Amino acid sequence: MTLELELQTLWTALVLYVLAGVAAIFGVALQRKPERTVLALLVFGLVLHTASISLRWDRLGHGPYITMYEILLSNVWSLLAIYVLAYWRIPAIRATAAVVMPILFVMMGWLLMTSPYEGHLPATYHTVWLFIHIGFGKLFLGSVLVAVGISGIILLRGSRYGGERFVSLPDNSRLDELSFRFMAMGIIFETLMLIVGAIWAQDAWGRYWAWDPLETWSFLTWLCLAFALHARVAYKVTPQVGALMVLAVFALAFLTFFGVPFISTSPHKGAV
Amino acid sequence: MTPRSGPGIEDRGLPQSSVPSPHSSILKFFASLKLTLLILAALGAAIMFAYLSETPTTWVLAGPLTAFALNLSAAVATNPVFRRQTALLVFHLALIAIILLIAAGRLTYLKGQLELAEGEVFDGQLMQEESGPWHQRQLETLRFSNDGFTIDYAKGIRRGNTRNQVSWVAPNGQIQWAVIGDQVPLVLDGYRFYTSHNKGFAPAFTWHPNSGGLPVLGTVHLPAYPLHEYKQAIEWTLPGSKTPLWVMLQFDEVILDPAKPSEFRLPAKHQIVVRAGEERRELKPGEAVRLAEGVLVYNGLRSWMGYTVFYDFTLPWLLAACVLAVLSLAWHFWNKFSAKPWNKAA
Ligand code: HEM
Repeated sequence: MTLELELQTLWTALVLYVLAGVAAIFGVALQRKPERTVLALLVFGLVLHTASISLRWDRLGHGPYITMYEILLSNVWSLLAIYVLAYWRIPAIRATAAVVMPILFVMMGWLLMTSPYEGHLPATYHTVWLFIHIGFGKLFLGSVLVAVGISGIILLRGSRYGGERFVSLPDNSRLDELSFRFMAMGIIFETLMLIVGAIWAQDAWGRYWAWDPLETWSFLTWLCLAFALHARVAYKVTPQVGALMVLAVFALAFLTFFGVPFISTSPHKGAV
Repeated sequence: MTPRSGPGIEDRGLPQSSVPSPHSSILKFFASLKLTLLILAALGAAIMFAYLSETPTTWVLAGPLTAFALNLSAAVATNPVFRRQTALLVFHLALIAIILLIAAGRLTYLKGQLELAEGEVFDGQLMQEESGPWHQRQLETLRFSNDGFTIDYAKGIRRGNTRNQVSWVAPNGQIQWAVIGDQVPLVLDGYRFYTSHNKGFAPAFTWHPNSGGLPVLGTVHLPAYPLHEYKQAIEWTLPGSKTPLWVMLQFDEVILDPAKPSEFRLPAKHQIVVRAGEERRELKPGEAVRLAEGVLVYNGLRSWMGYTVFYDFTLPWLLAACVLAVLSLAWHFWNKFSAKPWNKAA
């Protein structure tokens, strides 16, 4: 199997995602509900995206977690998979696709600009903990992404344009409740990610925690998430402030997942 | 305003029946959830500070962490929410346990480095170490032997798997073997020995001093290979003498080929250059050089492996506390969310 086939499959998937996103945005702007079309396009995109990842996995003999290209490739996939699940199961918040898809477009654009050539698999990556660690990380980021979509609606409603476009959605206090349920799932998954990461680090490098850049930033994300959850029980936080806290957590998490490996070129650089 | 589920924040202080006393108001202050927010922010700031500063500054975490533990304990002691919600209580107790265990770990840990040539037995001595003030040293009694290793290298001299065979005597007197490396340490009495990326060549010598003492066998660990590929030389002093000796390893063949996969191994053909003062000699295995203070016999080339050793008795407890924390947190949210659908008004 060649790299060409892998890339062609991926590009087709990306085109389907873009069409889905555009349909979702136009749906909001024109107050239509092209929900079935959006769902179908996203699911087809995911099928092709899965095929592209499988081809690569088979060709290289290891999963997509080494190079920046692979990290983006697999995270766009997992974020979409989780989002599509939420989109399908919670019809009341389908308008969030108009917020979520542009965020994913940025990641897709970035993905297209990174080199798809293979990297070297470090010896410390031959462990089942790696899969569990990455899996929880993806569940965490996916949960927060759904909360970001909902928060986007709460914030957009602040403007007259947004207020008119999102009238049919549940009121802000309900959206806020739902978004924080996703944040609650997020903290569970992030805690699990940190625990498993520490087990792996102890086995691989002889220390469970050493404040390397990724460890530091992921812990700051965890603290920020704890802060947001507590702020909501300590004060009567408005849905708008709650939404801003969700965005802050996502921004930190985004930086941790894609900024830190980007600066240091490989995950846990220096420790592998 | 956000309609909130459960009781409002107003009734979360001390139980109504308690008579306000100076003690209870201090406790109430320490138990405040608003203080928690401040502490979480302070902890984040301290981590940023420690992360960005050039010198080790982890002590800045001690303040926020102590405040964290105090705040949490006071809240657990006084806040009626914890009486009503067992899962939340268990979670926060687990958090306290984690902080205490980390503190206990810092007080009793040991971390160090050692190197062993192939065939050499660890004698309890470390080259470098750091430990907590309350570490109860048992390292001196531990013994294990490095029985040799292999390391795969991919194209471009990228290090792959390390397989290091080690052996030791179990408490029942039986000899045990294991292969350690990458993910797998050797654990003896709670001390965890890990292979490191530090390894290289070790010429082995026998030194027969003129004084007539017993011959001494020993290895010289040359600088790490392939890290210091072009600096395979070192200065050392013969046991019981003051003469500095300079030793260099010479070989022509390519051990780790950047163009194709290879394996760490000893060169098939090599020689050792020994220089003492003005005298310079090239030695092959089995050859000897007569020096002012005795005769040095070159026995042959071996490899050496660098190990890190880590001791922290809290590891299994810490893991248990973390697992308990995450399970109870999930249980808390499950209780809370299953009680009411998200889209039903309060
Ligand atoms: C200084 C330390 C802390 C104190 C004093 C504290 C105290 C409390 C209290 C009193 C509550 C109950 C709020 C209520 O339902 O009325 C609570 C809830 C909670 N705390 Fe903490 N906490 C601390 C640290 C943390 C940390 C570090 C986390 C990390 C994740 C955390 C996670 C939570 C969560 C998830 C809830 C439940 C929130 C909800 O039900 O929506 N706490 N905390």
